Amino acid sequence: MSEIPSASQTDSKGGETISPKKIVILGVGNLLLSDEGFGVHVANELMKLDLPQGVSVVEGGTEGFKLLNIITDADRLIVIDAVKGGGDPGSIYRFDINEVQSCPSGFKTSVHQIGILEVISLSGLIGKTPHTTVVGVEPKSLKMGMELSPEIKAKIPRIIELIFAELRNDGTDSLIVGI
Amino acid sequence: MAKKITIDPITRIEGHLKIDVEVENGKVKDAWSSGTMARGFEAMLTGKDPRDAPFVTSRFCGVCYSVHQLASARALDAAFGAKVPWGGNLIRNLVMGAEYIYDHTIHFYQLSALDYIDIMAVANYTGKDKNLLDVKDKIVSLVKANDTYPLTPRYEPDEFSVKDPDIVISAVSHYIKALTMHANARNMGAIWGGRTPHYQNIVVGGVTSYPDLNQWARFRTMLDEQKKFVEEVYIPDVLAFGTGPLWPLAKMGVGGGHYNYLSYGDFPKDPERKELVFPAGVIIGLDPANIKVNPVDTKKITESVKYAWYKEKKPAHPYNGEQVFDLDKKGAYSFIKAPRYDGKAMEVGPLARMIVAKNPDVIGLIQKGAKPGAVARHAARAIETKLIVDACYNWLDQLLTEMTKPGFKIHDTEHWDPPESGIGAGFHEAPRGALGHWVKVKNKKIDNYQCVVPSTWNASPRCEGGVRGQYEESLIGVPVPDTDNPINVVRVIRSFDPCLACAIHIIDPENNEIKKFMIE
Repeated sequence: MSEIPSASQTDSKGGETISPKKIVILGVGNLLLSDEGFGVHVANELMKLDLPQGVSVVEGGTEGFKLLNIITDADRLIVIDAVKGGGDPGSIYRFDINEVQSCPSGFKTSVHQIGILEVISLSGLIGKTPHTTVVGVEPKSLKMGMELSPEIKAKIPRIIELIFAELRNDGTDSLIVGI
Repeated sequence: MAKKITIDPITRIEGHLKIDVEVENGKVKDAWSSGTMARGFEAMLTGKDPRDAPFVTSRFCGVCYSVHQLASARALDAAFGAKVPWGGNLIRNLVMGAEYIYDHTIHFYQLSALDYIDIMAVANYTGKDKNLLDVKDKIVSLVKANDTYPLTPRYEPDEFSVKDPDIVISAVSHYIKALTMHANARNMGAIWGGRTPHYQNIVVGGVTSYPDLNQWARFRTMLDEQKKFVEEVYIPDVLAFGTGPLWPLAKMGVGGGHYNYLSYGDFPKDPERKELVFPAGVIIGLDPANIKVNPVDTKKITESVKYAWYKEKKPAHPYNGEQVFDLDKKGAYSFIKAPRYDGKAMEVGPLARMIVAKNPDVIGLIQKGAKPGAVARHAARAIETKLIVDACYNWLDQLLTEMTKPGFKIHDTEHWDPPESGIGAGFHEAPRGALGHWVKVKNKKIDNYQCVVPSTWNASPRCEGGVRGQYEESLIGVPVPDTDNPINVVRVIRSFDPCLACAIHIIDPENNEIKKFMIE
């Protein structure tokens, strides 16, 4: 499913949403710059799976500000992205947003002047800031192209496992089917 | 002695831009605008099924995706010979209407307002309004937590900055209100677009899904709320600032530039395109007392690479453009090409549209003494937002009528398959200005594809003959009394709403701290 979550919307069966907790898995990145699009590729894979109730997948592309509607509507946010952390290509990172905000010289996305992490902190100004975890992979190539590098593509199943581990920690494990 | 200042990057814009200015006797003497990220995504399209182009081009940029999707679909409409039914056009217009409301209000509140107010003045608010006190608490606690990134970095407030705590706190409360309005506007676009970001509904020949009454009603209810915000908050704020504390800047006309304006024209009000919300036209060397608008002849558009990092080539029409990088080229200083109309550097965007349209509100401000420049640009943007809001109601009414007609159509399905060969150009007045896509189809595949985007027009480097681009020209003479605080330079640049090569989204921290979160 990829429709936008909206507080005023009812679910597809026309009833009230049963799960009180809205979990959004948000894959971001630029699909045209090979491994930069990692989060988009993961989101597209996740959409093929049956996910627990209350969990939705959003493929956010290169958005920053325009994800505000999605972020403010989530109780729990798991962001999938390429992360330049200085490790070897294919290294996997996992951190909560509040862990990195305490980094001494700050933390910001490099090129987008107002990136997703800034938007998450802005969301606090109009309501809740969801508990946010980033799961990411160190890219190998950022060249123009719509395919991932083979060794980065090979990390997708592992990343999906890690996302499900996050969901289990959030107490939705009994609902997981289909993987 | 002239002193050179470099501002790199210009913050609170979309993308990556570097500005160099040479300051002499407190004023800018010369300026260079450099797009410091390579684009050239168009090359990826060669050999692809043309019908992919609206989706691929929508990934060029994370900010203005839908505008590329629309311009691309229109280029294909022309190349395929497709005739979009009026119902399809109405839905395309409504998607873009939501986009305009979103883009313009975010530009004013989130990206620009901080150039004109001293945000720290909220701490001095002594009033009793509960909502405003709440705003004060929020901002003060962010400052205390050293967590003000979206509100900073900033230059020091100067003599033009608004420091009155009552005005500042009201502006900041609107800044916060605007965030909620943006989130809602995203959902408006998604009603027709199927999802957000990166809408899915705009394709060659029209749109993909029939509207239903529920969607129609939801859009209209949400539009009511946006209309209220635009009319009661956004426009009054812009006019109160522009004709109040910023009137000296408006009268000075900082950021005027070449006074050449281009609008491709867009948003038909009726199926016969008798009337457009934004008329088409070209103005060379504006004379406010006698505005002369010429028709647009797109054959006169060329792109120069004289000062851009591309292989040397004579200025070419976009149908014949190419992107072969030459990073060692002497004299080059930008990844942005230099589009020109009849050899002239043009301004595109809200101010260009409103002057070409001879909009009475904008012309009225100019007649009162506001010179076309940074402040007038903000005013034009606000005024045209209202025109779009009003047009959305009109389109909704027409859509309802169309929906009830027998044989209601939204797509020209006869022309879905690509032609053996063909060429087409698609034009769209995007929120940031004139956008053009040009496509050549050969053997049912894309043979060449070129885009000339609004910020390419405005942010272009010099061309043959050393003619400056519009940003560059608009900086000449701008007061910079303190070279450590070039706040007027960023005011001018940001008034154009720059958006450059918003291509990369990677999380790239400034230090190596992130490495400790490596888990495998």
